Amino acid sequence: MLRYPKSDLHLQRQIIGSLRHARRALTALSNADLVDILGSVGEGLLGGPNADTIELIAREADLSIQMTAAVLDGMAPSWSRDGLARLLASDLAAPRSLESFAEAGNRRIRALAPGVTLHFGAGSVPGLTATSMLRALLARSPVLVKPGAGDIVLTAIFARALHRADPRLADAVAVLYWPGGADGWLEWERRGLAAVDQVVVYGRNETIESIRSRTPATTRLVEHPDRLGVAIVDPAGDPDAASAAARAVALFDQRGCVSTHLILLLADAAGARAWCGELASQLAELGSTLPPGPTSSGELSRRHQLARAATVRIAAGGASGGTIGYWASRRARWAVIMGPIDAFAPVGGRTAWVVPAADIESCTSALAPFRRVLQTAGVAGVRSGGERLCEELAALGATRIAPLAQVPFPEPDWLHDGARPLGELIRWGEVRQHGRP
Amino acid sequence: MTAATTAAMAAMVAELGEILSGWTGSNGDSSAASRLGDDSAFDRLAMRVHEAQRDANPTLRRYWELVEDQEPTTWAEVPPVPTSAFRDVAIVSGRAERVFRTSGTTGGSERRGEHHVASVALYRAAARPGYRRHLLGQVSSLRLVSLIPRPDRAPDSSLSAMAGFIAAEPEIVDSIWTLDADQGIDVAGVRRAAENGQPVLLLATAFSLVHLLDELGDEHAPLSRGSRLMETGGFKGRVSEVRRGDLYRRAGRSLDLDQSQIVNEYGMTELLSQAYDGVAGKAPPLADRCHRFPPWVRTSALDPATLAPLPNGEPGLLAHFDLANAASVCPILTEDLGCVLPGRGVRLLGRAPGAPPRGCSLPAERFLT
Repeated sequence: MLRYPKSDLHLQRQIIGSLRHARRALTALSNADLVDILGSVGEGLLGGPNADTIELIAREADLSIQMTAAVLDGMAPSWSRDGLARLLASDLAAPRSLESFAEAGNRRIRALAPGVTLHFGAGSVPGLTATSMLRALLARSPVLVKPGAGDIVLTAIFARALHRADPRLADAVAVLYWPGGADGWLEWERRGLAAVDQVVVYGRNETIESIRSRTPATTRLVEHPDRLGVAIVDPAGDPDAASAAARAVALFDQRGCVSTHLILLLADAAGARAWCGELASQLAELGSTLPPGPTSSGELSRRHQLARAATVRIAAGGASGGTIGYWASRRARWAVIMGPIDAFAPVGGRTAWVVPAADIESCTSALAPFRRVLQTAGVAGVRSGGERLCEELAALGATRIAPLAQVPFPEPDWLHDGARPLGELIRWGEVRQHGRP
Repeated sequence: MTAATTAAMAAMVAELGEILSGWTGSNGDSSAASRLGDDSAFDRLAMRVHEAQRDANPTLRRYWELVEDQEPTTWAEVPPVPTSAFRDVAIVSGRAERVFRTSGTTGGSERRGEHHVASVALYRAAARPGYRRHLLGQVSSLRLVSLIPRPDRAPDSSLSAMAGFIAAEPEIVDSIWTLDADQGIDVAGVRRAAENGQPVLLLATAFSLVHLLDELGDEHAPLSRGSRLMETGGFKGRVSEVRRGDLYRRAGRSLDLDQSQIVNEYGMTELLSQAYDGVAGKAPPLADRCHRFPPWVRTSALDPATLAPLPNGEPGLLAHFDLANAASVCPILTEDLGCVLPGRGVRLLGRAPGAPPRGCSLPAERFLT
């Protein structure tokens, strides 16, 4: 049972006022101090939440305990001192500009986050909201966080640890859950959106469009809509690709923006069938080491609807049985569907859709309809034409091209949805000196 | 499709039309349709229709070959076609007389399901005994007031088509179509109908009924004695979910209808037959109701994980085998949850609950629109 306070506009004013007040102290921290404080909190948590806490996080997110532990382990590098330092160094040419004006050619530049950030988390992948919160703090923006409904516990634990770690952070973070868009909260949201200086929103298109329509034009809005993860695999070039693919499909129970749904396989139909069987075995094995969380009857229903509707489409197209295939566990804990690209839909619940492809060109043309939602493209075993593939994937809109084995957990300094994670939170100021060109 | 299979399917459709139209559902009914209440009789006809569909429709033949290696021996073994497939493929043996489209519950108007209906006469033959038995009994004349669009204004709506069939029944002395896609509900028209003194058959979707009651507000618009209300459909995500009991109580208060006069029709574009949860005037309290199809339909509840049939009483995904769908496809896998009760009653439990928000991975719904 999820409990949350009633919408109270006075409370909101107090929270945002307090956050705004905390900005000065936050801005006064050096990069080194901030990385140290935030990183030590992150490392402390990863040292690990105890078994009870992991169980709580797992239950809230509808993930298995083993999966929850694996997710937290995988996110650890992004929350560590090393990870945060790397993000700073990689994202900003002159990280010092977060502390004061820094020389940059013929001008001096200053990186400042615009005041208070209101963060809307999405869904139930634990850790997503914490990562976003750390980024805002690193950019020196106090943050009011509304975690995803399945990511409240970890976000609250993280915030409490930050509160304890340093009094200067204690006033710079507030976590509050409310049912987004619910009748009694619309005025609260409207006032909140008008009061803060920056909004970061993750979520479904409808959520983002709703937030966008209510956010003042002068407030910076950073949007992260749902994304699609794909893979391009040449099984001849990587005998372990099925194992990596299974992991990329299974991690987060396929809820992450990086999760792989579609695999373009450089193989003929017979080769693809054999590889799909291998992928099915690997998914079955992960079913015991990283068991899936509970699946709702709605999700199961959708999976049957999509898989069987695809089969009807294939049948209508005159395809023979050799070009399609379906492998699934008895209790629908995973599924592999081999079928044509035009029948594909991201089913979720550890469902891999495998499309045999003759060559790289076939792969990239198959991905063209997804150009607006593409994010991570995992690559395995592609020996020739790799650079050309990267060029074409990037041109299609893929913002992250990575070895398939590394797909589930991006590096701390990855270009999230094609933007610099700190850079997108920062507003630059410059000082031009008189007489200098 | 060869001339022979076309002729065979046409003959099958004609035969079914004859069988279905003879059903009355009364105690003394000894029609051929009534005899389909016997499971072996149903199975024999079901397998004949299945073979005719397989012969006449190469898409279905390939689909069944792809999904199941074994030849089915009973209706329950024929792999059902998901309702989603109606969005993508025209499933019809021969030429369609009409194309009915879904209202786009999840899919919006871009990709609506399409039921290509080869014989509107067979649709009427399947629908008529059901609505006559459940809506038109115990009264010699009724005025039809429809909150469902008139058929000529919604030619692709199977529900409107059925409302048109009802309007043509001899008991219906007058029809008032009070819903217009552009103008909304003509509440004044409903009021006038209420004042007329003639018993009324009010046809409404749950959505349109909520709007009518909202428009009436505290106003009392009592319908004459003998009036009845057929409510159908869900709320399609367009208004707040209202409990059916609350809705019926509100309707009862505003329109002066006893709960026993309000019946729910369960139907869908993909099925040409319908189920009702009571006979108007005799419908039991809501808690005691279940839906019943005519004897030419069988329903099974399937395990959501495996699609294996579940025993009576266990909730699962509902699949229906509707012989009236002979010219399209009989076995249909729905997204509805429910359980089958002894005696072939069906308890509906609503749409299989959707997944909670699941992170930032693109959801399938986006692809269904």
